[in-house]
Amino acid sequence: MAISTTELKQNIITALNLQDITPEQIDDEAPLFGAGLGLDSIDALELVVMLEKHYGIVIKDIEEGRPAFRSVRTLADFIDARRSSA
Amino acid sequence: MADRFPVITGLGVIAAPGVTVAEVWAAIAAGQTALQPLTLFHSPRYGQIPVGEIRHDLVALGAPVRGSRSDKLAWLAARDAIRDAQLDFSQCGNRTGVVLGCSVGGSYDSEKFLVTLLKKNRMRPRATRFHECSSPVDAIANDFGCYGPSLAISTACSSGGLAIATAADLIQSGAADVVIAGGTDSLARTTWAGFHSLLLVDSQGCRPFDANRGGMSFGEGAAVLILEAEEHARKRNARIIARLTGWGASCDAHHATAPHPEGAGALAAMQSALRRAQLSPADIGYINAHGTGTRDNDVAEGKALKALFGDNVPPFSSTKRFFGHSLASSGAIEAVVCIEALRRQQLPGNPGFHEIDPAIGLTPVTETRLGTFTHVMSNSFGFGGNNAVLIFSSADTQPKTLPTPSAPAHIVNLGVIAPDQIVDRQVEWPLPPETVRAHACSPQADAATLNPIQRRRLSRLCQMAILAARRAGKPESGHRAAIALGTGFGSLDEGAVFLENLIAKDEAEPMPTRFPGSVHNAPAGQIAIDLGVRGMNSAPTAGEISFEAALWQAMNQLSCHEADEALAGAIDELNRYPLYLGKRWGAWDDKTMPGEAAVIARLQRESISAPLARVTNVKLGRFRRPFDAKLEAEWIAAQLNLKDVTAIVSGARGWPPLDPLYARVVAELTRIIGHPLEHQTYRERCGEFPAASAFGFSVAVDLARAKQSAVLLYTLSLRGGKAVCRIEP
Repeated sequence: MAISTTELKQNIITALNLQDITPEQIDDEAPLFGAGLGLDSIDALELVVMLEKHYGIVIKDIEEGRPAFRSVRTLADFIDARRSSA
Repeated sequence: MADRFPVITGLGVIAAPGVTVAEVWAAIAAGQTALQPLTLFHSPRYGQIPVGEIRHDLVALGAPVRGSRSDKLAWLAARDAIRDAQLDFSQCGNRTGVVLGCSVGGSYDSEKFLVTLLKKNRMRPRATRFHECSSPVDAIANDFGCYGPSLAISTACSSGGLAIATAADLIQSGAADVVIAGGTDSLARTTWAGFHSLLLVDSQGCRPFDANRGGMSFGEGAAVLILEAEEHARKRNARIIARLTGWGASCDAHHATAPHPEGAGALAAMQSALRRAQLSPADIGYINAHGTGTRDNDVAEGKALKALFGDNVPPFSSTKRFFGHSLASSGAIEAVVCIEALRRQQLPGNPGFHEIDPAIGLTPVTETRLGTFTHVMSNSFGFGGNNAVLIFSSADTQPKTLPTPSAPAHIVNLGVIAPDQIVDRQVEWPLPPETVRAHACSPQADAATLNPIQRRRLSRLCQMAILAARRAGKPESGHRAAIALGTGFGSLDEGAVFLENLIAKDEAEPMPTRFPGSVHNAPAGQIAIDLGVRGMNSAPTAGEISFEAALWQAMNQLSCHEADEALAGAIDELNRYPLYLGKRWGAWDDKTMPGEAAVIARLQRESISAPLARVTNVKLGRFRRPFDAKLEAEWIAAQLNLKDVTAIVSGARGWPPLDPLYARVVAELTRIIGHPLEHQTYRERCGEFPAASAFGFSVAVDLARAKQSAVLLYTLSLRGGKAVCRIEP
């Protein structure tokens, strides 16, 4: 079953302590890093921890996660792909 | 002053490959790395990953039973270096300083406090006694009898390099004849899991500059250099091993952990060291690279090397796979490697390198081999974009470095965040509930001006630091600026939150955001980013004289023209751990309250502007035990001009053990000066915390302006340090 992007956004908001931001304000396709939400490399690491905690996905090399962290959409697809291959 | 050139007369080292300089070099010559699985503590998640752990019993090697693992490592390296230099401190102890880089401090031992609390629900407050990064400095100074300036530099992985650079400044300025200089850091659960949480560790062991590198390897150890003024070494017929001819520091002002992608800060620090040595890039015959083996560091460092040396990058290598990266001591250990390389005329190899990385385009010295060279460069870069570079030269070279007599500084402005209320603070989980009355700073109205995206990750300590620095004022554009921000406790709460989570969850779900904020230099690094300050960026720590240590470093940057402006200050915050442990540490009692503050002074060289007030001198040292007030008053009189001094602002706190000492020194000083001195105190207004003398400085500035006469700020530390500075309108 594909994961809910709303739930994923809520997990991102909690993991990154994005106060004052609601899931509705995050566009599925918008870049998470650089422009967009203005996240950086340390936030990516928090996302790695979040993926393990909520979805049981372990990332050992940040390069592996980099393409997945482009947007909420790519991250949701990544989670779906990892779960169906597990 | 011509013979104040710093020379090296002794070396000591202890690290995974060996516990003597000879053993360490034998490993380098044989290309033997010391990385093995971890045995020092239980690490369910990462225990099999290779690490440079020292497996010797440190006490059996002669270390004192008292003290943290970092204290013991430093003590052993210092003992060997002092023997090597054949120093006799009964002759030169008064003019001998101690400056060590230390970033982990006593964490390995103090972590046991939290481990037993969370796992066994037992309190062991004694485990925290040697937690502070200044502890190894105090242990060495007190044990060996050194009474010159003493401080620790806590700027993460560049600490060792910056400590040696600061030691050289102390010698050149005439503040000390000999300095025990280097770095120490032991393995610890926090840093171990911290770097793993940042995905910066290579599970196969580090492979610096290799195309397939996957991060760093961890290590531990200590190294000490005896730095000595050439005239002092010659007078006692000491053997001169090598010279320190260049040293330079810079800050990327870019990011909390990632290096500047083009290596801009690294380049600036190398250029600054060359300028100081009056050498050109072509003079450098070997570079010991920082070369951690992380993807970002090695690319940025490679770019900086190519920017400086063009197509003629000299032979270089990273020796990190021999040792593992020992954080604050790596710069000191690599300084020993550089000096031995010079002495033996051999180029150390770079184990772990097999394939050139097109993104770097440089091949290091792969295996240790012979070479011919006179000048070597050692790079150390750290969190907060903090860079330090040293240049060592053969003993028989003629140095050109200019002496740098200390000069007064103008205080352009003061940024003060001070307590404005007395509150009941609750000590919270996991500590036993307790209510502690404290002097606290209210939430600051200008905190709203911090960018919310940044603020979500800034600790309260970093927010206080940035606001104080903004109030002190941004350096004028075009001015080269430096920062020295002292702290006693540092970012204790960030480190504690990271560690509590680690222990409670057995290393699952680490908190990567919290870890970079736990280093002592996080606030200074954040100020650098906020204000765009790219000169030296230091975080000294020296108990109650942490502010004065920062003031000394900042004023030195001005007097040797490394900076046109400098921010000097100190900061400590109220949090659960000092609240609970302070009484047990002897930092306060039932009659006094803990407190907090951030105070930053913006300084310029005397020639530039119309000041609020002037600081003419700051002098650091240590007092002898038993305390002799007459001797201490005479020390002050010998260090400073006492003309027109009408008041003294002291760190007296309303209770023993230091108060009676202050009163006796003031009485003796009054006798020397011949007229009564007004004695003011400040701790009753800001509370007790190590960096409180920064608040005392603001009191002294106000007093000097009000009285239109000179005021002394005099501070003693519980572990034996002392400082005095003269402020005049």
